[in-house]
Amino acid sequence: MNARPMYLLSVMISAALACTACGKSQGGAQAEPSPAPQDHSFSTPLGQRAGTGDSPEVLSTPNPYEGSKEAAREGQQIYLAMNCTTCHAYDGSGNQGPPLNDTRWRYGGLPIQVFNSIHDGRPQGMPSWKDKLTDDQIWKLVTYVESFGGTFPASDWQHAPQGDVENENEAPEAQGQFMTPVPGTVPPPAPATKPPR
Amino acid sequence: MPPISPSHARDRIVVSLFPFFAVLITGLAQAAPTPSPAGASFPTPAPAPTSASIPHKSVTGATLNFAPNEPNGQWQSEAHDWANTRYSDLNQVNESNVAHLKIAWTFSNNTKYGQEAAPLVVDGTMYIVTPFPDDLYALDLTKPGNPIKWKFEANPSPMGIGKACCDVVVRGLAYADGLVIYNLLDDHTVAVSAKTGKQVWRTKMGNVQSGETMTMSPFVVKDKVYAGDSGGEMGVRGWLAALDVKTGKELWRAYATGSDKDVKLGPDFHPFYKWMQGKDLGVTSWPRDMWKHGAGASWGWVSYDPETNLIFYGTSNPGPRVPAERPGDNLWTSTIFARDADTGEAKWAYQFTPHDQWDYDGVNENLLMDLPMDGKVRKVLVHLDRNAFAYTMDRTTGEVLSAQPFAYQNWSSGIDLKTGRPVVIPKMQPKPNIALKVCPPDIGGKDWQPAAVSPRTGLVYADHFNLCMQVTDKVVGYIPSTPYDGMDMGRYPAPGGNLGAFMAWNPVTGKKVWEIPEKYMTMSGVLATAGDVVFYGTADGWFRAVDAWSGKVLWSQKLGSGIIGQPMTYLGPDGRQYIAITAGVGGASKVRIDTNLMDKVGFPAGGDTTYVFSVDGISANSSGPGMIETPGQGIKSIPGPLPPSSPPPPDYDKHKATAPPPGTRRQP
Repeated sequence: MNARPMYLLSVMISAALACTACGKSQGGAQAEPSPAPQDHSFSTPLGQRAGTGDSPEVLSTPNPYEGSKEAAREGQQIYLAMNCTTCHAYDGSGNQGPPLNDTRWRYGGLPIQVFNSIHDGRPQGMPSWKDKLTDDQIWKLVTYVESFGGTFPASDWQHAPQGDVENENEAPEAQGQFMTPVPGTVPPPAPATKPPR
Repeated sequence: MPPISPSHARDRIVVSLFPFFAVLITGLAQAAPTPSPAGASFPTPAPAPTSASIPHKSVTGATLNFAPNEPNGQWQSEAHDWANTRYSDLNQVNESNVAHLKIAWTFSNNTKYGQEAAPLVVDGTMYIVTPFPDDLYALDLTKPGNPIKWKFEANPSPMGIGKACCDVVVRGLAYADGLVIYNLLDDHTVAVSAKTGKQVWRTKMGNVQSGETMTMSPFVVKDKVYAGDSGGEMGVRGWLAALDVKTGKELWRAYATGSDKDVKLGPDFHPFYKWMQGKDLGVTSWPRDMWKHGAGASWGWVSYDPETNLIFYGTSNPGPRVPAERPGDNLWTSTIFARDADTGEAKWAYQFTPHDQWDYDGVNENLLMDLPMDGKVRKVLVHLDRNAFAYTMDRTTGEVLSAQPFAYQNWSSGIDLKTGRPVVIPKMQPKPNIALKVCPPDIGGKDWQPAAVSPRTGLVYADHFNLCMQVTDKVVGYIPSTPYDGMDMGRYPAPGGNLGAFMAWNPVTGKKVWEIPEKYMTMSGVLATAGDVVFYGTADGWFRAVDAWSGKVLWSQKLGSGIIGQPMTYLGPDGRQYIAITAGVGGASKVRIDTNLMDKVGFPAGGDTTYVFSVDGISANSSGPGMIETPGQGIKSIPGPLPPSSPPPPDYDKHKATAPPPGTRRQP
């Protein structure tokens, strides 16, 4: 059983309702403690290959804000307010978490896969944000991540989901340091026909 | 006191051999056809050097207590003893033969992260702990090839990989009562039977999902093991806990922030300085409720003084790393505590960096010694803080006797010994959204990498950094299980251009005796020995032996990765002295450092090999002439042309005189 189509439907509905004001707080400097938003990430098996089990229809889900500079700007505000910077760095080059500006994606670099990583969390420390952010906010965050230049377009669903790096059994996060491009040399967005790595 | 200028710093350098030059000298010495001067004398320990040029009077007159006095040649805890001396009384390896150190054997643990722990050696077994996934190996040193006796797989949750700030390291093991004890990245302390490799107990100490991890080496005194948490940038509330060695049951826990009850400040608590006296300062020195996630994690080292029954340890930076968000002293972060080892009640405390604005954790090691100062012997501890000042403190009262900078810094004009407070230079205080250049950087003038002290020279040996940072504070909010940080920061070299240095420090005068600048970062532990040679390593993979008196580099060996581990020494079952170090660059030395500098270190992140050295690389069970027999059926005769045989080298028979003790060598 794959529950994802149903869930995807809700994503698409919310995307259709996009740009209505976000109901949830983005967290001020003195935000009150609230329940930790990470419980769901354990449901994702470690080492799950990106895109496994997903149909083309799911994988090719476009980002409703694709290319929107306004959405990327709002996404940047969320990126800063949700403390993404300590793990992924202010420029997306990664730190204790993986870089977001290279083309290496453990759980896939398609828009819907980046969305899912934020929404559900991942087992190696990435919290789930589904209780903290609306789907609309997450898509804006995806738009900002896309602006780093390492993601794949939805049209590239056949090639983009590369999953684990070949022959690598351990977390790429801590090894990502040398994959980090020198600032200013961020690779251009991947072409639609990029071959699998 | 003015800030230390680079020319000032250079004035103190009596000996400054550039590593390249030293390596050249060593290389020439090895190329010369002179026979090994001491090689023939093994296994009889060679006499200590007696060169007339060496002053034999201790420079400071420091005396050390080596309790619990481990049996000769063993290494049962990371610091070797309760006083954290990291000094071994072995002297087979000394000035006369250290240049002949060669690799005797190696062991790869097949992990890819930074290697910060020293191996332990107890009863003919070597214990090696790996970074995540926190595996533990026992190697049998009594058998040919040092085979694996057992392997314990701790299998911790991978959640900690993304929560740990500075690589998924573990800083070591503790051995007690037949148990090997260490901390797992996912907030568990585990005890493994040294005999069987089976888990005896595992205690959950925290919740890794919250951002809390554990990386420190536990510390054992008698029937208790002490362990603390990591996560100064993750909005944790720091603590140190005592567990029962036999059962793993938690006996007490002392927090770094909060009420006096939580911090365990009772009627016996008498801080030396007035500004640390008062009720519930762990609450009132913070804006409302911010102490609840104000960090003060204890991820460094613990020392123990059996005379006073006190343990000493430090706490991390306050959170978030944006000082504008937390006006106040933020007690008890960046602080050293002296606590009763049995009850955990504090006797005194001292905050090195009040209202820490630069991430100057106070977790570095405390070396306990008795020092003649101003005509009387003081019971002191010596602490080289991240804030770049070296403190010599009365360990019975918490009074600061001396505090002098040991690394380049420009945040303070000195420590006021009357008040005990650092004098902060106003323009060096970061303000939100304004870029500021300040030295040292977040990882300090020296990080967790522990120093050593020799009772022969009376000097403290440490490697430190020569770094600055450009920092821009960005206001952050607290969101559970996410980072609580706000420091946008990049490091760059301090004046001089070298990133690291190794020094001998006089804890009485507060001055360097000599210093060896290193081109790249130095973040390894230090080993001091009775052979008057001290050992350290560099991030670009050089493992060095240095004359403890003069600072002359006597030997260097390039290893397979950068070194951020801790050297140790032991006496093998064959009676030989071995030196061991695990190479594998990572940790904070790889995190957020300037990209260009990182690339020049010359290694990919991670590494996994423990190197074991002996004079001429000889070992009764793993190298040398005793090891020419294969475990198979001997030589098989295969028909056909034979390759031309070459005569044995002229010094082939030399090693016969150095044969291991009878019974350990197999006859061909």
